[in-house]
Amino acid sequence: MTTHLDPELWSLIRVGLHVGFFFAAAYLLRSMFNARSVTELRHLPRPKWSARVPIVLLTLLFIGILVYQATWQLIGTSRPEFIAFMQLHDRRALNPAHRIQRGRILDHRGEVLAYSEEILGQVYRLYPDGPAFAHVVGYSHPWFGASGMESVANVRLNGGAPDGLGDWGKLGRQLVTQDKRPRGQDLTLTLDAELQRMAFGLLEGKQGAIVAMRPEDGAIRTLVSAPSYDPNRITSALFQDSGPGAALLNRATQGLYPPGSTFKILLAALALQQGFSGTLECPADGFTTSPRYRKIRDHEYYTASKSGSTWTGQGSLDLATAFARSSNVFFAQLGVRYGHEAFYAMAEQMQLNRRIVLHETPYGAWSMRTGEIPRLDTSDRYGLAQMSIGQGAALVTPAHMALIAASIGNQGLAIRPRLIETDEPAPLAYFMSTSVAERLSAMLRQVVISGTGRGIDTPRLAIAGKTGTAENPQGASHSWFVGFAPAERPQLAVSVLVEHGGYGSATAAPIARDLLLRALDLGLIE
Amino acid sequence: MSRVNGPIDIADAWDLRAPERSLLVWCFACIALGFVMLWGSTHVGGGTIDRLDLLPLGLYALSLLTLHLILVTARFRGDQLILVAVAFLSGFGMLAQYRMGSFKTQGTLSINLALFPIGLILMGATVILLMRGRYQALAQGHLIWVWAMLSLGLLAVLLLFGQRFRGGVYAAGLVTPSEILKVTIVLFVAGFVARNAKSLGAWGKGLPLPPWRALLPLAGFWLILAGLLVIQRDLGLFIILSIALLTMLFVGTGRLGYMLFGGIGAVALAGVVLKILPHGERRVTAWLEPFRDPTGGSWQILQGLSGMFSGGLWGEGFGRGSPEYTPIAQSDFIYSVIGEELGFAGCAIVILFFLILFGRGLLVVSRAADGYGRAVGAGLLTVLATQTFLNIGGVTKLVPLTGLPLPFISHGGSSLITGFIGVGLLLAISDGQPATPAKSRTAKQTNGVTGKGARRSRRSSAG
Repeated sequence: MTTHLDPELWSLIRVGLHVGFFFAAAYLLRSMFNARSVTELRHLPRPKWSARVPIVLLTLLFIGILVYQATWQLIGTSRPEFIAFMQLHDRRALNPAHRIQRGRILDHRGEVLAYSEEILGQVYRLYPDGPAFAHVVGYSHPWFGASGMESVANVRLNGGAPDGLGDWGKLGRQLVTQDKRPRGQDLTLTLDAELQRMAFGLLEGKQGAIVAMRPEDGAIRTLVSAPSYDPNRITSALFQDSGPGAALLNRATQGLYPPGSTFKILLAALALQQGFSGTLECPADGFTTSPRYRKIRDHEYYTASKSGSTWTGQGSLDLATAFARSSNVFFAQLGVRYGHEAFYAMAEQMQLNRRIVLHETPYGAWSMRTGEIPRLDTSDRYGLAQMSIGQGAALVTPAHMALIAASIGNQGLAIRPRLIETDEPAPLAYFMSTSVAERLSAMLRQVVISGTGRGIDTPRLAIAGKTGTAENPQGASHSWFVGFAPAERPQLAVSVLVEHGGYGSATAAPIARDLLLRALDLGLIE
Repeated sequence: MSRVNGPIDIADAWDLRAPERSLLVWCFACIALGFVMLWGSTHVGGGTIDRLDLLPLGLYALSLLTLHLILVTARFRGDQLILVAVAFLSGFGMLAQYRMGSFKTQGTLSINLALFPIGLILMGATVILLMRGRYQALAQGHLIWVWAMLSLGLLAVLLLFGQRFRGGVYAAGLVTPSEILKVTIVLFVAGFVARNAKSLGAWGKGLPLPPWRALLPLAGFWLILAGLLVIQRDLGLFIILSIALLTMLFVGTGRLGYMLFGGIGAVALAGVVLKILPHGERRVTAWLEPFRDPTGGSWQILQGLSGMFSGGLWGEGFGRGSPEYTPIAQSDFIYSVIGEELGFAGCAIVILFFLILFGRGLLVVSRAADGYGRAVGAGLLTVLATQTFLNIGGVTKLVPLTGLPLPFISHGGSSLITGFIGVGLLLAISDGQPATPAKSRTAKQTNGVTGKGARRSRRSSAG
């Protein structure tokens, strides 16, 4: 064959041949069916038994195969794992799974966080604001798979499993037209893109996490973990890094940090619940459970000794004052006073040592860890004293501290945090009674008015919150701020953690203030 | 009337086989369309088509013609639709193998090309050799024990001198001589069952238990066979042969109990065997949870299914898919290639032709003149049908993969040749007995008065 066949013409001929082949085969089948009496074996004796039953059984068996085959071949789009497999591992250019118009991911105002674009017949997934949203939105990559919302909501983004007459009708049309390109559904998140970008900017050059959520319905407005990565450019190096600076780690939901003084919120709740009133003597020299252990002292003691002077001590403190001044001596005594049982009951009530599932599908779950409060021996009173001031063995995640702040802002009731707008708000648990929450709320406000957080007090917004400075073996203290605003009717709870950021009042608290003020500008707080 | 039971001359045979002739022409036309489609795709895709590429189709036409002429010359009276179905399926197989490039090795044509024509001619030869009731000679005297010894001996030799590849045992050049067991074992078991039909059918009164004493030789043989096959890790072949054994026992004795007991035994055995065979358990995991290890154990099946998914209802046409992404697609996974390039419709056509083959085969078996013919026919049909079901079911993930080729279509010489010989045997049985003395013929005719009348009237209404 030396003549050249025009591809245009050929595609017509090809369709003709294709149809011709089917017609010829069908005609042959029909002729064979019609020829069954002509070709009957007249020379053979009558049948000993009827062949009808085995023929029918055999036919049913093979029809069964065809029916099952159709569930893959024709309506394979109803098998989300199968579609995901083909998108990841099938290299056939003609496979319709590659042309599925995956839904977009949007923030609560409709701003696009992820979308698909077809470039030269190849579909790419693009993330306009890459790193800022990477830990929530995740990535969808032909080699490295999917993570975050891209993975958890894969089914919905791909068009979902058919669950209605309309969906099946659509599937039928796709069958006939060979257009197996379901247009996926868009996914709207609760995130606020502006606030998220701002939070990400505030953590630039630092390691840490920021979480902001609405106390009344659990909607997460901001969830930032730094450092981050660009989901538009995934490389294998990203997965090899498992060190402390790993970009892939979601510090907000999975990072366990000593809570430092922010943990005094739990102790204060415990004391209020137990009906504590009156005062505790807080000697300048500190407090310990046994002379063998180093004394737990207030930060003023160290400041004074550093400058060469002597500190006279706090004297006798009531709960609110001790909370505002963040007195270690007071809260260490408080924890020891109520003992292990009450302490662990409180930790249990506030859902520590758990994993809270934010969104779950059969194809993955988006969950957050709450914290780790290991069970200490009841004889270990010093360990309890240490945990009472958020040191020692106690570890929490930034997301859970935000949830605790939110529960105080919502009269003690914690709402399950949610990232997907269409998920119904659902109560998670009462972290404390309503009266405790109200009194604790006032105490948190007092911290910002006159206590350790007074540096961020602003006439524009009544911020309530607790600072924290968590010592850790890796280096400088972690800087914490946990709170909400406005104090009288909280609309946004926030938790800020900056790794090795020093004093909470110096690093984390100003970040929280800037973020809350921005939220006010954006109308997230009215 | 003369051709009903008496000897026929060549002119009669020419007339008798007229439907076969016209059907074979259509068969060729259909396959030729497929080849044109492939040539065009190759040409447009930048490949070159030379004279050698026309050879497969030419050989196919030639072998169909030869086959038909052989049968007419031999005055063969047997079934015509089975023959056409096999002719179409093997033509489809050639098409698929040509498409997968199995016929070409570095520019020259390979021996694989000859397998289909040789198989078709071999089928004709088997028919001539064994027609007119001559197949009964296969069960004469001690011959059935020869089949038994041959089967076991072959397996033993293979175990001693064979080479291991992908978990199985093969002879030199990856030939699988154990395929021939599908015929020899059927010949042995059918002979044994037909010979001892009475004692094997005498089940215990009261408690319905099979007659152990009569079954003993068969059971012993089966134990040795099972042992040899398990060592060879040829689970698929063992399943096929066991189902064939039970069917033959059932057909030979009319005792459904054999099937029931066999079914219960099979379920019990399956669990044990899967524990022993490591690659068996892997396959079951890949079957039940294909997405647990998608890039490992389930890669092949998921790639096959992906191909079928992209084929959809009609497919893109022969030569337009990318079956090279499915590992070793030309042998076990040829069905997924058909699904990819001809779509669901192409798969349905293949299955329909298989169903014609099996259905027509069952009719022949039900009307075979003697117990031995019935048992052999039933055994061969069961082997073919089970193999087809396990292959297609495995590729579509309905059942676990057993690594069995698809009869008449998959790449694999031994399997192809065995399939053709098996169908040849079935065709020989469909030729019935030689012209019998008048006495017994009248006896048969009085037996079948009503049936014959009905048939005659149908013929007149057709004319």
